[in-house]
Amino acid sequence: MKYMKKIVYVCELLLFLVVTIGPFVWAFVLSVTPDNAVFAPTVKLLPEHVTWAHYGELFSPDSRRGTAFFSAMLNSLRAVGITLCIGVPIAAIAAYALGRMEFKGRNLIKNLLLITMVIPVMATIIPLYRMFAAGEMLDNIFWLSIVYVSSYLPMAVWLISNYFATIPRELDEAARIDGCGEAKTFFYVMLPLSYPILISVVLIMFLNTWSQFQIPLILASSMETKPMAIIVSEFMTKDSVQYGLIAAAGMLALIPPAAATLFFRKYLVAGMMKGSVKG
Amino acid sequence: MSAQQTAESTNTMKKKILPYLLLTPMILIMGVLVYYPILATFSYSLKKWKLTAPADIHFIGLKNYIDILQSESFWYSMENTLFILVMVVVFTTICGCMVAMFLNIDVRGSGILMALSILPWALPPYVNGVLWKFVFFSGYGFLNKLLLGMGLISHPIEFLSARWTLLLVVSIVVIWRSTPFMALVCLAGRRSIPSQIYEAARGDGATRTATFRYITAPLMLPFVGVGLTSTSVTAINVFDEIVSLSGYSDLGKNILMESYLTTFEFLNFGKGAAMTYLVMFCALILGVLYLRSLNKEVEY
Repeated sequence: MKYMKKIVYVCELLLFLVVTIGPFVWAFVLSVTPDNAVFAPTVKLLPEHVTWAHYGELFSPDSRRGTAFFSAMLNSLRAVGITLCIGVPIAAIAAYALGRMEFKGRNLIKNLLLITMVIPVMATIIPLYRMFAAGEMLDNIFWLSIVYVSSYLPMAVWLISNYFATIPRELDEAARIDGCGEAKTFFYVMLPLSYPILISVVLIMFLNTWSQFQIPLILASSMETKPMAIIVSEFMTKDSVQYGLIAAAGMLALIPPAAATLFFRKYLVAGMMKGSVKG
Repeated sequence: MSAQQTAESTNTMKKKILPYLLLTPMILIMGVLVYYPILATFSYSLKKWKLTAPADIHFIGLKNYIDILQSESFWYSMENTLFILVMVVVFTTICGCMVAMFLNIDVRGSGILMALSILPWALPPYVNGVLWKFVFFSGYGFLNKLLLGMGLISHPIEFLSARWTLLLVVSIVVIWRSTPFMALVCLAGRRSIPSQIYEAARGDGATRTATFRYITAPLMLPFVGVGLTSTSVTAINVFDEIVSLSGYSDLGKNILMESYLTTFEFLNFGKGAAMTYLVMFCALILGVLYLRSLNKEVEY
């Protein structure tokens, strides 16, 4: 009986691994396959020769596609930086008000905020496009990142304010008796105590920004602003599609979010379990 | 009024204003970048507004909506949307529960398994679509090679060039991406049930099915509710995967894609806006359910 259970578990494990990591392994195989052998009409899965030429082309400074790809990665990274610097503080102070203070309209504001989580990007993008065009804010990484922030705020405020609400009131009363004002209580009591949820929020914002596709598709048009996913999509639609190169670019593009997920899984899992949504 | 009283009253004033002050940056961003655009989109949807005829913009009431509801193209997209929605909701729930049960088993390295299981959720949907395109590639992709190798088919199947197989592949990719969230929500629900309840039930001689029927299922329901509503919203709003699997073609378009094409390809802002409003209306119904299930979870 115990033996049976073990066999069943191993089967489940194999199935889980094949479905979860299978696509990555196959994309990696394609990325080291010579161009003429990619999707060649044979049933052989592995290439006869292994080539690193696709990675070489991406890393080479003279290759047009390589430069485009790395400038796109850098653009994505810059957007992540701006999003975090602006999004996290705004979310934290708003969450402090919503999670720890009593005031008129609190529930209304909370519900109005949360309901926007389900609204599709297309519902806001046409007026945004016109607004940005009128204010000459199109094709600008800063304003692009602010639009990202507006789509993350509901999730971030929800997570942080729920966490704040679980911190015992006695703690800030004690701080107040010791002479801390509202600001000091926030910085010296609340923030240090809520670092786990803050890390979760930072990670979720990072992953979301790295994934952006629809918003920059409409609001970003130059090499200086286009993020990673848009450049990969342009590789896919060029006249001579090189699947090996696309696979290599995809593998490189997945490294930052995959590494962050594996290293910080504890915080991500905790954040997700508290009922966040992504994308 | 004494000086002390004045100080006190400014203090309470401060206390009253402070929360609104703290909320100001958020309200500003949300107001300008979300609420105003949503209202503006609605006003666009009531206008005849084509970028190809910029001089001829005027109010036409509900005509855009009527035109859309009478067009065949809209119902084609609607069928696609519903197909993806049903497939994704049903199979994400099944796969999510299975993965949750699998992850609930404590073994060495279960932390790594947990990390691997959330990987599909964490990665860019567009790139996910590309990875799966390689698997379901219409020529000699992975699956075709496998099926040919086993002798199950004699010619490669064109997965991505027929409507229903394309939609099936889109659904699979979305299921793959949304299963992790469902699994974790189920896991959170399962772990929130105190083990004493099960011990008590066993003491009373409850059978396994009775335990599931009367303890596990009802106590997990609010958590599954969060997962279900969030998955449905994801399924309605699929976009990136469709683009990476089939480009901006008409074959596998859902309503969101149709709205994108109407707006930015045919430059019909009025009709595109109206179409988005139809999608948003469906999403909002789900959103209200979502809100209720989220709030329930907190009480619980």
